[in-house]
Amino acid sequence: MNDILVSAFFLSLVLVGIHAFFGLEVIRRGIIFTDLAIGQMAALGAAMSLFFLDGALIYPVSLAFALLGGLLIAWAARHTDNLEAFIGLLYAFGISAVYIVLSKSAHGMEEFQRLMASDILFTPLEEVIKTAVIYTALGAVLFFLYRRFEGFWKDALFFTAFAVTVTSSVKLAGVLIVFSLLVSPALIALRFDGRFMLIKAWAIGTVANLAAIIASYKLDLPTGYTVVFVNALFAIAVSMVPRRRREAAQ
Amino acid sequence: MKTKSLRALPETETSTAQKPPWAAFSRFSPRRRSKKPNTHHAASVLRFAVILALLLWAPALYAGKLKVVTTYPYIASITEQIGGDRIKVDHLARGDYDPHTIVPKPSFIARLRRADLLIISGAQLEIGWLPPLLRQAGNPTVNPGAKGFLDLSRSVRLIDVPKSVSREQGDIHPDGNPHYYLDPNNIPLLARSILTKLSALDSRNAGYYRSRHGEFAKLWNAKSAEWNRKLALLKGKKVIEYHKNFDYLLRRHGILLAGTIEPLPGIPPTSRHIEELEKIMSGGGISFILQDVYNSDDASRHLSKKFNVPMVKLPHDVGAVPAAEGIISLFDEIVRRLGQ
Repeated sequence: MNDILVSAFFLSLVLVGIHAFFGLEVIRRGIIFTDLAIGQMAALGAAMSLFFLDGALIYPVSLAFALLGGLLIAWAARHTDNLEAFIGLLYAFGISAVYIVLSKSAHGMEEFQRLMASDILFTPLEEVIKTAVIYTALGAVLFFLYRRFEGFWKDALFFTAFAVTVTSSVKLAGVLIVFSLLVSPALIALRFDGRFMLIKAWAIGTVANLAAIIASYKLDLPTGYTVVFVNALFAIAVSMVPRRRREAAQ
Repeated sequence: MKTKSLRALPETETSTAQKPPWAAFSRFSPRRRSKKPNTHHAASVLRFAVILALLLWAPALYAGKLKVVTTYPYIASITEQIGGDRIKVDHLARGDYDPHTIVPKPSFIARLRRADLLIISGAQLEIGWLPPLLRQAGNPTVNPGAKGFLDLSRSVRLIDVPKSVSREQGDIHPDGNPHYYLDPNNIPLLARSILTKLSALDSRNAGYYRSRHGEFAKLWNAKSAEWNRKLALLKGKKVIEYHKNFDYLLRRHGILLAGTIEPLPGIPPTSRHIEELEKIMSGGGISFILQDVYNSDDASRHLSKKFNVPMVKLPHDVGAVPAAEGIISLFDEIVRRLGQ
């Protein structure tokens, strides 16, 4: 039994590893829902592939849709006034389009969920290791290049990398887990002022995921939803602690 | 017998060739023997060892039972009827959820790992949730095709098998309608397959299984005669169904299906489809709208109110409603609700 939970735990760590970076960035930029919008665009690509191509080319098509979503947001960041509204609507557009495309296919939604929202319990260790290698490389590229870029190219690099990551993360763990691991550790880390934000976010994410996976095993709860629940609860609780009183107590 | 030989065993013989298997646990005894022999003390140690051995064996006796895992509760209920206390049955899905989509939990994998026999409903009903569980469980005993695997859909003739499978026509179940178990006349076929499988895996208890199966078959015959008599009264009536859950039962009793609330299996109703159903219903002659417990009943309720046709909620599995406690009360409840 442990091997499965170990692999789920490693996967959550790999996801926190890259998404904590993106999380700090999207919170700073105030575009948190970018993740859901891009994830949903990737899902729309998968639904298109399922309906028109019988599931062929599912990854390239969904990646293309995710990139399109990312570039639309990058463009909107410079040319619209209400970016968050734009992103929210892109999400609504994606999710409704998926339902419309699949409404003509019997059991299409179930088939789609089977392909898209794969459960964190079911990711084999080899897949986790493969993803860890890819994300480490991507993280290194971002680490060295991101600060050298300026203006539009900086945004283009950010949204491209984000689209690639979200597409493959969503495939591994589902939209909701990716969102919670993106926002929650970063949000908590931002409550502690100072340096090494990324390292703080990693530590927080590790603790939360470990707690979630142990709880899921001990209480026999659906693992994916438990990870989301614990991360969200943790972040909500920390956010509700009044900042000044906490500092006074220290 | 075991107790006797253990007690009769003289202390000095522990090290001879007749070393009992539990000798490995009594590593304190040599040191004690070097001291003054204390027979009273030795006897109490032996008594303790016997109790300990019995305690250690208790789970082993329990483990000797065939461990059966079924996907749905209705299968567990039939299997229990045949296996009685010689097997341990456990089902994965809950009876009140949509059988097509089941959210996995860690215990599902743990149970599949320990299982000696996995019984599934088959005909692609589990396709959306079981394969990844089996892959992660990695228990070769219960993999499809292995000795400890039983697909019940192979024991019955399925209806609505499509000639060609294409997504546009809504034929996602290439094997045919998978809800064959909601016809009481199919249950004896399933019980027989389960009996054959249990007897093959656990031949020691084959006689026990056969006699329990005989009793179950007799009871079932009496029960289904009663059900068939009541259902025969519905012959020629027209119904609307949400999902094609009860087609086997409807067809056997000449109850006519006028339409389904879903435009395609698994797709919630659209406004145009409801309009079509309204056209059918305005012609009159529809007796019931059959609704399951897990899908939204908004559309059924709307049609029921508009045309004053009763909506009947039918349990689709053991545990779907409180009254459906086992395979027999499931059909008692279905027939009772249809007869109202």
